[in-house]
Amino acid sequence: MTRAEAFSEREVAMCTVAHLIEDGRTYWAAGGGTPLYAVLLGQKLYAPDAQYVTEDGVISPEPLLPFEPMMTMVASRAVHHALQWGTMNSAGVHAQLGHMDYGVLNTLQVDQHGNINSTFLGEYGGSGRRFGGPGGADTIAACCWRTILITDQDRRKFVKQVDFISSPGFLDGTPGARERAGLPRDTGPWRVVTPWAMYDYSERRLRLMARVPWVSVEEILAECEWKPLVASEVQVLEPPTEEELQLLRTELDVRGQTTDAAGGWITWDGEQYVRA
Amino acid sequence: MTAPSAPRKLSILREGTSQYLAVDPDGFRAHIRDNKQRALKSRLMTAKEAVERFVSDGDYLTYECNYLMRGPNEVVHEIIRQGKKRLWAAGKFTYVDVALLVDAGCVSRADCGFFLSAPPIDRALKEGRLEVFEYSNVIMTLRLQAGAMGVPFLPVRSFGGTDGFDHSGAKLITDPYTGDPITIVPALNPDVAVIHAHQADVYGNARIFGTGVSDVESALASKKVIISAEEIVETAEIRRNPGATSIPYYAVDAVVHSTYGSYPGTCPGYYGSDPEGVFEVFRAIMSDQVQPYLDKWVRPFETFEQMLDERVGKPKLEAMRARETAREGYSA
Repeated sequence: MTRAEAFSEREVAMCTVAHLIEDGRTYWAAGGGTPLYAVLLGQKLYAPDAQYVTEDGVISPEPLLPFEPMMTMVASRAVHHALQWGTMNSAGVHAQLGHMDYGVLNTLQVDQHGNINSTFLGEYGGSGRRFGGPGGADTIAACCWRTILITDQDRRKFVKQVDFISSPGFLDGTPGARERAGLPRDTGPWRVVTPWAMYDYSERRLRLMARVPWVSVEEILAECEWKPLVASEVQVLEPPTEEELQLLRTELDVRGQTTDAAGGWITWDGEQYVRA
Repeated sequence: MTAPSAPRKLSILREGTSQYLAVDPDGFRAHIRDNKQRALKSRLMTAKEAVERFVSDGDYLTYECNYLMRGPNEVVHEIIRQGKKRLWAAGKFTYVDVALLVDAGCVSRADCGFFLSAPPIDRALKEGRLEVFEYSNVIMTLRLQAGAMGVPFLPVRSFGGTDGFDHSGAKLITDPYTGDPITIVPALNPDVAVIHAHQADVYGNARIFGTGVSDVESALASKKVIISAEEIVETAEIRRNPGATSIPYYAVDAVVHSTYGSYPGTCPGYYGSDPEGVFEVFRAIMSDQVQPYLDKWVRPFETFEQMLDERVGKPKLEAMRARETAREGYSA
């Protein structure tokens, strides 16, 4: 593994998720973009026996990379040499049956109980702003055994209560809330990953568990409107490696649509990583 | 284990409060009895005729896949050209289709699984030209599954606990078998489905290769079904490999021969997308320029084929076909 000289914040988040990918597990990735690239990165470098399913029910494809612009589902390169071609209902039903170990998705806003908003910012139906809706994420968050959520580290994204629950976390955080809403037993949020940090849950409440080396716990908490719990020992995450970035940039997100520099860059100054 | 001896009390624990398309399985059956052609008679017609005959103002419309991926774009263009009004769209697994149809003045209600929210949608919501009801992609396709089974509702393991649930037609009930809470969603039987297939015969026996969203469910659940197909094949070819038939003829009302019918999107295994065309429609929507887009790509033309001839041109179409190199699995 080679130390990387420079990378974008979004690349950090995808590499952090890639480090979580395990052999012998199934991953249901929401849409294309960040979740799919993170799973592919982990599979190609660390967990060759990790399997993934796309929103349109494609089981374990060997995709021809890179994808054409926006063509991450249905398109032939994305579904190439799969074990089975399915549909949205086959994917949804396989998740209902318990075949999906992990769901990977991204979002606009997350709250202290891991509820996810991708529908509306502001009071629903009021003068706020509408977004795309849950897509496949609602069923992913409801039916996969564990859910990995990717988002940006931004005050407005970490809130006490999301404006609209598009996809379920631990709902009101009380024990059994998901089951009382008809969701499958023993499922729920597992990790939240941002370019700066990784969170888990303690008693169904969001908890900061790890940070990147170039950002302090205080800086992370300053970018959370609602303060999460903080683990007694906050671990330090491994930065992206040159090998990861090479794969990400040459085979996965070759046009930089997903890893653009919007979130800023981190560079190695000879002694440590610094935010540019 | 034996069944409980005392009857369980069925109760509704929570209900969504939004409008949903009325559920009427027997009405649907009667429609099928009275309107579907059981004879092997040709349903081949132009997109113009299919839309004139089978898409009415006020219809609930479902389209399969989307404008970028094996969408029935020839038929969608024709719906816009004919200025259909007050359609209610199944907005699932969609980037741009809903925004195009809303800004074209065709759609005024949408069930949302996912569709790109962009300035045309924001304006329509603000001006009261669009109502949105909340679901998710899988909940929408499971509603179609229920519609395709001829039952009034389906129990589902997702959607409970969300705010979408409260703005939908879902209900949380006590499951009469386990006694646990379970979400049920109303069956969806659209008035009309438009689906782009790789191959069909003139009767409507259709083959779809590769993946899809809910092609078969939509075809069986809908009162009127328009299939557009890249290739029209002989029925003998369908009979040669019956296992490859995705949609049977008696569900189908119209067959439209639509070569390059998913332009600018891809028809997997047949041709890749036109990246330029994909970016153009995306940009038009994000920058609120749908009207100029329609004035360039839809309205000046009598037919989709004329648009392909004059606006896209043979060299580009042939290049899209040549670029589609992953062809394994896209034939019977």
